[in-house]
Amino acid sequence: MSTEWEKVLWKRQDHPDNHIVPGSFLSSLKKNANFRPYTYWPVVLLSCAITQHVATIFIFVSVFVRLKENYLDPHTLVWISVCCFFAGYLSWELLDRTGAGREHRRANRVKAAKSSILIFLALMSLSPVLRTLTAATSSDSIWALSATLFGVNALLADYSAISLGGEVHERLTSVLSMNAAISASVVLASRLANDLAVFALILFSVQAFALFPRLRHRLGLCPSTLRLAFTAVLFAVSILITGSLSRTVTWIYAAVQLGVTFLAPAVLVWAQKFKNEIRGPWDVAIPKVNC
Amino acid sequence: MLPTSIAMITDFFHPNVGGVENHVYMLSANLIRRGHKVIVITHSHQPDRVGVRWLVPSLKVYYIPFVPIASSATLPEFLTFLPYLRTILIREHIHLIHSHASLSSLGHEGILHSHLLGVRSVFTDHSLFGFDDAASILTNKLMAGSLKNVDAVICVSHTGRENTVLRGELFEKSDTDPPGLSVRDSVYVIPNALVPERFQPSPPPPSEIITIVVLGRLVYRKGIDLLVATAPRICQKFPNVRFLIGGDGPKLIDILQMREKHLLQDRIEILGPVRHNDVRSILVQGAIYMNTSLTESFGIAILEAACAGLYVVSTRVGGVPEILPKDMISFANPDEDDVCRAVGEAIKIVTDGKHDPLRAHELIKTFYDWDSVAVRTEAVYEAVFRSPQMELWERMKRTMQLGLFAGPIYTIILIVDCLFFLFLEWWMPREDIDFVREHWKQDMFEEMCQEAR
Repeated sequence: MSTEWEKVLWKRQDHPDNHIVPGSFLSSLKKNANFRPYTYWPVVLLSCAITQHVATIFIFVSVFVRLKENYLDPHTLVWISVCCFFAGYLSWELLDRTGAGREHRRANRVKAAKSSILIFLALMSLSPVLRTLTAATSSDSIWALSATLFGVNALLADYSAISLGGEVHERLTSVLSMNAAISASVVLASRLANDLAVFALILFSVQAFALFPRLRHRLGLCPSTLRLAFTAVLFAVSILITGSLSRTVTWIYAAVQLGVTFLAPAVLVWAQKFKNEIRGPWDVAIPKVNC
Repeated sequence: MLPTSIAMITDFFHPNVGGVENHVYMLSANLIRRGHKVIVITHSHQPDRVGVRWLVPSLKVYYIPFVPIASSATLPEFLTFLPYLRTILIREHIHLIHSHASLSSLGHEGILHSHLLGVRSVFTDHSLFGFDDAASILTNKLMAGSLKNVDAVICVSHTGRENTVLRGELFEKSDTDPPGLSVRDSVYVIPNALVPERFQPSPPPPSEIITIVVLGRLVYRKGIDLLVATAPRICQKFPNVRFLIGGDGPKLIDILQMREKHLLQDRIEILGPVRHNDVRSILVQGAIYMNTSLTESFGIAILEAACAGLYVVSTRVGGVPEILPKDMISFANPDEDDVCRAVGEAIKIVTDGKHDPLRAHELIKTFYDWDSVAVRTEAVYEAVFRSPQMELWERMKRTMQLGLFAGPIYTIILIVDCLFFLFLEWWMPREDIDFVREHWKQDMFEEMCQEAR
């Protein structure tokens, strides 16, 4: 052919319409342009948040079983919850030191104290109602319902860690997740025999599913050894208190946890070799606007 | 090429308006002018557009009673279209189907069924798609399935061709050494065109004011965020510039807010929805056409503006860089600062009188016209008729290449389709079908009009 082929439409070219110049076709195709490969150990470290969350769920469920079978005195559970609350609040304060100003923190503290007293009283007055809430429902439905709700909770929970000085952005899914867990604990609590046990369990569930995830966000800032140690402690506690209840469940639980923490990251790292992200001039551009 | 009979199949056709609709109509009209017989098959429209209608010039349109699900596209049903299509193709003596637009399930079904009647198939892709969201992944697989067995594919721009080849998996194993993949040679690029006479430039008003025109749907994909960010800056920098914004859409409210916030009511005129007939009269009021699209397969609006004598500023996206020579258009990257720079450049070119609207119009007349599009499309049809037709066994083998899951599913659909076709042959024998014997006769029509008067 006489003339050079050009990638333009306005010029009538000598080449036929299906002409393709070797080499020029798809020359602007980019493969895996923004691809940052994961490595194994950082992913394991990130999966700690999931391990912690699943451990919390199992601790909660075994506490419930103990309460139901009268292995555990509700008074003890209330005291444990209160201790957990103060320990958690202390670490929250320690982690928050870098954040907002002194005045702001003082206001926050007052607010926290007010709302914790409010929740404490509200739960106490509500527990007789909650105890008889599902009296007409059979226990089988309750087990199925709470299992589903805990599943939803674990699936939708926000496992991300906040960056330094960043605000926690409450996403819809994390709110849904918390609601699912609280509903699960309410329906479980309605199977318990006395008001104090109901109160203790709901108080514990507020600690485990409303306050702990917020603390976990902050823990993302801690050095990794601390996070690993904390995860190990939670895992050990959950194994210990599940172990004395049922062997089979403990084995399954331990297998799931090890799979989530060690196997799943390995699968993710392995699967990256199949990654084939293609970008080209046809992609919708992202407008860059100042401000 | 000998006259033949062609059926255009698409979900997008008149009475809707848009790029694909216009393309199908114009292409059909020009093919008819070249002596072919063309019919259009599309779905029905509410409230009463069902059945057979005629459009000038003797274009017969079949509106099939299918209900569109979203933005005028029908549900991909794979089999339900066959009874209609078989009857129409037989009674109209169709030799080739030409389906349009990758979101048109009717078009894909047409490609799937046509081989049963020995009818050849051509597909035109009008849009660009990404690869990374769920909707694209699904529609791309759907398209790859039907394009495995199509005889030729036409794209509207070179960028569009690259995109379609990747999406539709239009490559074959080549025998070169080392063995690799090569693009099928039945993939063509034929641009859109326009009717230049409809976009006659008018002499610019003798004043210092430069009007920047923005026309189009006001949606995210058209880059309205960029417009909202840049318009106040441009107004501030160039006191003799005013904006004329036409169109409707969810982003209109952003533009109104911007105008309010920067007190630019006297500088930015907002026209609201614009009818296609009024486009020219709006375009000729301006000197610069600004397009901030984030993706564009061909950019017919840009071409219309350039044809009406406007200097064009556009973002460098999709197929836009291919459609005009460099001295008629200024490009910007899709970021605020660069768009401002490009608009500044354009204003300078226009104030210096370096852009001649009449010359631009004459040039575009030579670049694009529907007759040449029809001739080039005819060449594709001719190549299709020359190529050997695929056997069913080969079709099945090719369909199996689609993948571990999609392959068997599509092959099953293909086989069931054949069985369904055999059933229809028994149930509605060809002999009983009412063939079309009388075609449109223009002179007879004129005679009748005379008599009626």
